[in-house]
This record gives sequence, structure tokens and C-alpha cells, in this order.
Amino acid sequence: MIGQPIWKKALLHLVLIVGVVLSVFPFYWLAVMATSTTSDIYRFPPKLTFGSQLIVNVQNVLNHINFFSSFLNTVFVAVVSTVLVLFFCSLAGFAFAKFEFPGKKVLFTLLLVTMMIPSQLSLIPSFMIMQKLGWVGTFKALIVPGMASAFGIFWMRQYATGAVHDELLSAGRIDGCGTFRLFWNVALPILRPGLAFLGIFHFIGSWNDYLWPLVILTDPAKYTLQVTLSQLNGIYNTDYAMVMAGTLMATLPLLIMFLLVSRQFISDIAAGAIKD
Amino acid sequence: MTNPNTAPAATGRKPAGKQAELWREIVKNRAIYLFISPFYILFAIFGLFPVLFSLYLAFNKWDGIGRMRFTGLNQFRYLVTDVQFWKAIWNTLQIWVYSTIPMLFFALLIAFLLNAAFLKYRTLYRIAYFLPNVTSIVAVAIVFGTLFGNKYGLLNFVLTSIGLAPVQWLSSAFWIKIAIASMVVWRWTGYNAIIYLAGLQSIPSVLYEAARIDGASTWQTFTRITVPLLRPVILFTVLTSTIGGMQIFTESQVLNGNGGGPGGAGMTIVLYLYQLAFVKYLFGYASTVAWGLFVIIAAFSYLNYKIVQRPDAS
Amino acid sequence: MRWKQLILLCLAAVLAAGTAGCGQKDDGSDGNGKITLTLWYWNRSMDDNLLKQVEQKFPNIHLKAEKIGGDFKAKLMAAFAARSGAPDIVGLNDWVAEFFPNRDQFVNLFDYGSKELKPLYLEWKWNQTVTPDGQYQIALPMDTGPTALFYREDLFQKAGLPTDPKEVSAQLKTWDDYIAAGEKLKKATNGSVYMFDNINTVFNQTLAQSDKLYFNTADEFIGDQEPVKRAWDNAVKVHELGLSAGISGGTPEWNAAMNKGDVASFIGAVWMKQILMDAAPDTKGKWRIARAPGGDGNSGGSFIAITKQSKHPKEAYEVIKWLENPENQLNTLGTYNLFPSTPSIFGDPKMTPQEPFFGNQRTNEIFSESAKHVKSAYRGPKFSIANSVFSDKLSTVENQNLPADQAWQEAIKRIRKELLLY
Repeated sequence: MIGQPIWKKALLHLVLIVGVVLSVFPFYWLAVMATSTTSDIYRFPPKLTFGSQLIVNVQNVLNHINFFSSFLNTVFVAVVSTVLVLFFCSLAGFAFAKFEFPGKKVLFTLLLVTMMIPSQLSLIPSFMIMQKLGWVGTFKALIVPGMASAFGIFWMRQYATGAVHDELLSAGRIDGCGTFRLFWNVALPILRPGLAFLGIFHFIGSWNDYLWPLVILTDPAKYTLQVTLSQLNGIYNTDYAMVMAGTLMATLPLLIMFLLVSRQFISDIAAGAIKD
Repeated sequence: MTNPNTAPAATGRKPAGKQAELWREIVKNRAIYLFISPFYILFAIFGLFPVLFSLYLAFNKWDGIGRMRFTGLNQFRYLVTDVQFWKAIWNTLQIWVYSTIPMLFFALLIAFLLNAAFLKYRTLYRIAYFLPNVTSIVAVAIVFGTLFGNKYGLLNFVLTSIGLAPVQWLSSAFWIKIAIASMVVWRWTGYNAIIYLAGLQSIPSVLYEAARIDGASTWQTFTRITVPLLRPVILFTVLTSTIGGMQIFTESQVLNGNGGGPGGAGMTIVLYLYQLAFVKYLFGYASTVAWGLFVIIAAFSYLNYKIVQRPDAS
Repeated sequence: MRWKQLILLCLAAVLAAGTAGCGQKDDGSDGNGKITLTLWYWNRSMDDNLLKQVEQKFPNIHLKAEKIGGDFKAKLMAAFAARSGAPDIVGLNDWVAEFFPNRDQFVNLFDYGSKELKPLYLEWKWNQTVTPDGQYQIALPMDTGPTALFYREDLFQKAGLPTDPKEVSAQLKTWDDYIAAGEKLKKATNGSVYMFDNINTVFNQTLAQSDKLYFNTADEFIGDQEPVKRAWDNAVKVHELGLSAGISGGTPEWNAAMNKGDVASFIGAVWMKQILMDAAPDTKGKWRIARAPGGDGNSGGSFIAITKQSKHPKEAYEVIKWLENPENQLNTLGTYNLFPSTPSIFGDPKMTPQEPFFGNQRTNEIFSESAKHVKSAYRGPKFSIANSVFSDKLSTVENQNLPADQAWQEAIKRIRKELLLY
């Protein structure tokens, strides 16, 4: 850190730390609840220190629901669905970003249009489609629709527009690359940060998805985490300490995964795309 | 942008050859169509069909289970005079202003700061800022309910401890919106910051070096290099925030239930839609509302698009 | 080389998704001649142990009981809309009447001779399961929600009000008595303790005591008349006298208010006992139960039905008939506090244990009496349309000082307008 005055550094850290406190506090409180009893959660003034009930609550969760098998189901669905989304959306996003072809505007606008219709309404028609296809109760029903993520294409298109420079593609053409090799060998490495972001975001979305898996899955052995966790809620009253412990257990793997993957798109050294 | 695929366009097309020309274009670009077709096939089935279905439903009465009954434009006529609809639109717009603008501003600021070459503890900051987006918000519903309580909430507890008056977060028409907006800001700032960060990573450091050598200040670097090169990403966040912001649902449902709070002050348009479909069994009218909303979102998005996509100055 | 990798990747993904998705076609029977019945219920709505016993009682039946958390109705509706995927047996909550227009999604239990079961159940509860034309029964009664007055004995004493449940029941007989007691409490505590939690409770509980609600049996709107007007007036009066704490139920705020003793009473259903115990552990031993001022009512309660998609309705009927017989309902009360709908067992000692949280009072004695005297009232499929508008207007009156008369006019107008959409 050369030449930066102390006060600048301090101010920078201060601003960032305030943001951190605000971001983390609800999560901290969630952890507090997970280590307390349900009655503690309702106290006023609220109890903000850790309790000693974590093991008890976790045991309750494991006794009431089949946590580990749902965990595996969720991992499977999230991983497969993310890999597929990354592939298809980067392919299509690259095409939209870097090439002209008839019908391009119309096709892309169609994407944006569907993003503007609230997804809550598509619940019933989507179920009806699944029923016609015979996919009700299958993992296919969770994985395949997600692949057609309008958001995914939109993001990859924007990222590719900025990150993949035309000179590179021209150079690649001159070297004799076919269109697919342009994508796979030239563009993909540059798109990696964008892919990592889409991957993470899609993974999280798949992991936390609740309403659609609830409606489409029929076999409890196939339930994903959010669906299984929702079984802990009673109709009249809920053991919140247990539910919060379950939520914590379901969130930690996401955090770990984020830690591992974030290096991909937030490198410590700003990357240069154009080689001298 | 140049297209590596086509030769320079010929001038003066023959009218009879237009069809043939189009077909030639399509064939020439067949690889590209191959690239996008897996997506579009799935999209047609799982993305487009439900949307078309809802368009059809907008002209019918349907309770979700029984027979559909055609009603033509009746529901659209009802929509125009539906006080609840316009109130919900107005609520949503207000919440959008209170949430999206601060959120994008903070996100850009944080991303810029996190990208600073001299920052330590980067990873920890990144985790901390992304944390809100990782947890399912339904799970943290109770946290926010306890935070924003009128009489026994943590926020009011803090406010009264330092001598300020408590805020009626859950009853006042104005403060409910602020509560919802702050949940949105909490949840999505880090996410947008990460997007900006990913975008910032793609700006070659060479440019920053050159600017520093030329003696540019931080502000000049920011406005002359960063923002213009970040434009596609900024456009993305503005458009997705616009579209997403107009569809705010979970935050409001979590805080106020399906009723949108006293006087429907926290009733966003999608919450209204959800209530129509799943509480009142009015799937037909809910679809009509969705398409009314679409018109508004489309117009609003177009406006934002034009603002961000100013013609480049140089 | 890259192409091969790409193709392999695609194949692997498709294979994985495809094989993992292999669901067996379920025709409801397995190899040994046993038939399989699926049952959907939500957490704590049915006794898990009892469900396990089904297979012992019916050796030819394999019961797949599935707990559905969260949006139970959305899942059920999707299955109905697609005409496939619904379970054989399904639990329904107090919104059972909302399915009357689509009653053909359920088996008519009369077809299986369920009329013979009528004497076993509380009449008003039975009536909730039958369509207004009296021809179609879509479900059997499960548990009920008889209401009573929950009150803080110590706070009542402070205000010079009666404290013994019998005396409270005798002296707080009408809503006017209850409201007058509220004023006494306010004076005695200098306004720091409220008699009522919120005016929506007042409104809903008055309504729960009536024999008419928002619609007549022809589904015409009658909500602008008695008793709805009276329920409204009660609520407004409580608000104007400043006797309500203005805290919505089911929120952390409500729990905190109860725990701190800022609210001295409320009328609630029997299932509020567990909620109160979880919410306000610091007040253990201080609460009592008395008969509700204004009369007995019901709030909540559930039902059990057989869907038309079931391939074994006859066997399913035998199962639900057994599940909801008086003996099994008595045992379920002990485990889950689900109040029975079969009055024959109300006298059984197992029904009325002493409860420490309520100062060792045998609270179910009161709830049993309450359950026996609930008036039969027609809810109808559009109940929640009207109810949600009144709720919204009342909370606007309470929280944003909307004038009550204006709120009433707006409510009626809005309900009439919304009904045009049906």
C-alpha cells in the first residue's frame, strides 16, 4: 500500500465495516436464535447473546426430519442444474453479444418480456406441463426448467459484451477457429468471472428454492432441503429455535461453497484481458 | 461492433432477392442458431408457454381448478378502475425508489472500495456482504419481524434508548414502505456489489496505470474510465433491479403477511397478484393484473434503458 | 478433443437428470396384494403414532403418510388443476368450504354411508362438511377450535374484577360486560395494561359466536347486516375507548406483549393454549380460562377428505372412519392437544387433566362446554374474501385512525365490487 494516507485507509475501513455490521447482523441474530430456546426468542428486550441450546436444537432437527438425504438431493439438483445453466447460457449469451443474425432483436426481447411477468403465476401452468410430460415428482422437473434462465442469458450477454473484445475474436478467426472453438477456447476463459458469478447465484437460487419443489415433488425421499425444513413448521405454533437451527444447517454449506468459488470471479489482482 | 462472420455489406439489394438474402443470412449463421437453440427450445416450453397461458387466462374467469369461463375484456375494464391495483402500483413505485436507488449507489461504492488494490481482509468483506443473499429470506422472516416491531422491536428499543421517538414500522403507511425497502437494500446490495466487482475485474489494470501516470484524480478515473467501461454491467443491474424491484413480493409477504399490512400500505403489486390467485381463487383476474403490470414494467424499463444507454460522448 | 469433452458432458448431464428422475408409476398397489394409500397432512395436525397404527388395524393397506410443510393449499390446487398427483386422503383446514364449488374433486362420503356417522359428531361441525344443498359431504370432521376467555387472574384481581373462572363466566356474560371490565382495568392500571390485544380479535370472535356470517346459503352477500354490524360495532367501541393494545396476533410483538403482561385477556380457541405457553413462559400459572363473554364460538379446526383421484375410495373411507372415531380422537387430545369433534368422550377423565400453566385449572372442562354450544353457521366459499376486507379496514381504523363509519362504508363497497369478479 504505497502512498495512501492513513486517514484514507481508516475511512475506507470504517465505511466498509459499517456495511459489514449491517449485513451480518440479522445472520448473527439467526445464529443466536439457533442456540437459544424458543421462549428466549420471544423475550423483550431481545436476547442477543449466544445460548447453549445448539446441540439440543440440532438434535431436534435431525429427529424430526431426514436432513442428510434432503441435503444430498439438494446438492445433486443444484450442481447438475448449475453446470447445465452455465453451459447453455454462456453459449447463447456469447452468441447474442458478439454476432449479428436475423431475428436477434426479437428473440432477445422475448426473453426480457418473460422476465417481466411474475413467476408466481406460472406455478399452475408449469405443473400442468410437467403432468403432460410425465415429469411430476422427478428431479428433471427441478433441473430442466431452470436451464432456460432468461436472467442467465441476459447476464452472460452483458458480461461478454464488455469482456470479450472483438479484436480477440478476429484474431481467433484468422488463426482458423470455427465458431465453436472461438467460444470454447477464446471466449470461455475470459468469461470465467461472469460464469462464476452466474454459477454461484444460480446455485444459491436452486438451493433456496421452495415453492416449486414443494409443489412438484411427491416422494419425500426426493425432497430438497427447503421443502424438508418447512415440515418443521406447525400450523398453529412453531418451535422456532429448532427451525432456526435447521436454517443455519442449511445455509452453512452455501457459505462454504461461496468461499471456495468466489476466488474465481474476484481475483486479488485485477486481470488484464488484452495481452501485450 | 464488427462481426467476424460477414463480409462488408453490399449496397443496392435487388428486391426479388430479399427472401433469398434472408435465407442466406440464416444459413450462414447456422452455428449461432445452434448455439441458442437448446436454450430456446426449453424456453419455449417452460418459459414461454406459462406466459402465453397467463395471457389467455387474462380473458377468462378461472378459480384454478374448475372450468374456465370466457369474459372478454371485462377484467381489463375492471382493472382500470380497480383502486387496489393502482394503490399497489403506487406502493411498489415508492418502495422501488426508496430501495433501488440507494442500493445501486451503495453497491457501486462498495465494489469500488473492495476493488481497491490496497485492501486487506478482502475475503472476509466479500463473505460478509454476500451473506444476506445466501440465506432464504423466509427463514429470516422472524428476525425482521422482531427487528421492526412497533412496541417490542429491536430497532425501536435502540431508538428510544438514545432518546428518539419510536417508529411505527408496521402500522404507519410511510414507515412500512421504508421497512420493506430496507429489507430489499439489505438483501440485494451485496449481490449487486459482487456483480460490479466482477465487472470491475474485467477492466484492464493497464488503463488505471496510464491514468495514474497522466495524473488523473480518483474521481476522474472513476468517471472517465470505470463507469464507461462498466456500462454494460451497470445497464444489467439497472434493468434487473427495475424488473425485480417492480416484482417485490417475498419481503412484503414476510413482514406483513398476505394482507399487505394496515390499509394495504405494504401491498406490492405482486403480493396483490398472489392474494388474488392463491387466497381469492381469481386466477383469471390475477393474470389480467400481471399483464397490466407488464405494460408498466416494460415502459419503466425502457425509460431506464434510455437513461443508462446515453450515446457515448467520444 | 474439446468436442469429445463437450459431448461427454452433455450426455452425462442428461443421463444423470434422466435416470435420477425415474419415478415408478404408482397404480396404488404393490406385489403382495396390499394396496397403497397416500395421505397428506401438515405438522401436528394428526397423530403420527396413530397413523403408524393404521397398518396394524388394516393389514391389507400400506399407508404413505406425507407431511407437507408450508403452502399446503398451493400444492393441493396444483394437483387438482392438473387432474393428477393428488393423494388418496387429505387433511383440510377451516377453509374446507372454499372447495364447495369444486366438490367433484372430492369423493361424496354419503355414497359410502357416512350419514350413519352423524350422531357421533358435534352437529355444527358436521354441518361444515356438507354442501348447502345437503347432498354432498366432502370431508369428515377432525379437530375443532372451541373458544373461551383467556385471562390473567392476577391482573383481574388488581382491577377489582372477579378472579375465579366460575365467577368470571357468570359476571362477564355479554360483550358490554367485557368492555366495562376493560374500562375498569384501564383505570386501575393507569392505562398500562390493556384488556384486548387487537380489535380484529374482537370482531372475529363476536362473529364466531353467531349463527350467520357473510353469506347466506345461496352465497349472496349479507355482510352488511347483523351480526356482522354488531361485531364491527363491538370492535369500534373497544378502539374508541382505548382498550386495545393494537398488536396483531401471530407476531413476535404479540408474544412479547403477552410475556410482559401488557395484555390481560383475549378470547381465543383451544389451540391458543400451546401458542400462549410458548410465547409467554414468564406468565406461567397466572392465566385462567372462563366462558367467553357473548357466547361460545369456534375458530379454526380441521377436516379429512378423500380425493376423487383415489383409486381405492372404499378402503380410504374405512381408514378415515377409523382415524376419526371417538376413541382415537380421545388419545390424540392427549398427545397433540387437538380438541375432539366427538362429544361422547367429553366426560372422560383423560379429557380434563390439570394444567400447571393455567394454575392447575382443568381448562378442557370449559372448552368442552363451549364446543357443545357453538351455533351452526354457514361459511361458504367466499368467506375469506369478505373477511380479509373487514380485517384490513379494521386494522386501518386501529392503526391509522381511519374514521370508523367511513371504513365501514368503504368495506361494504369494496366487497361488493370484488364479488363482481366471480
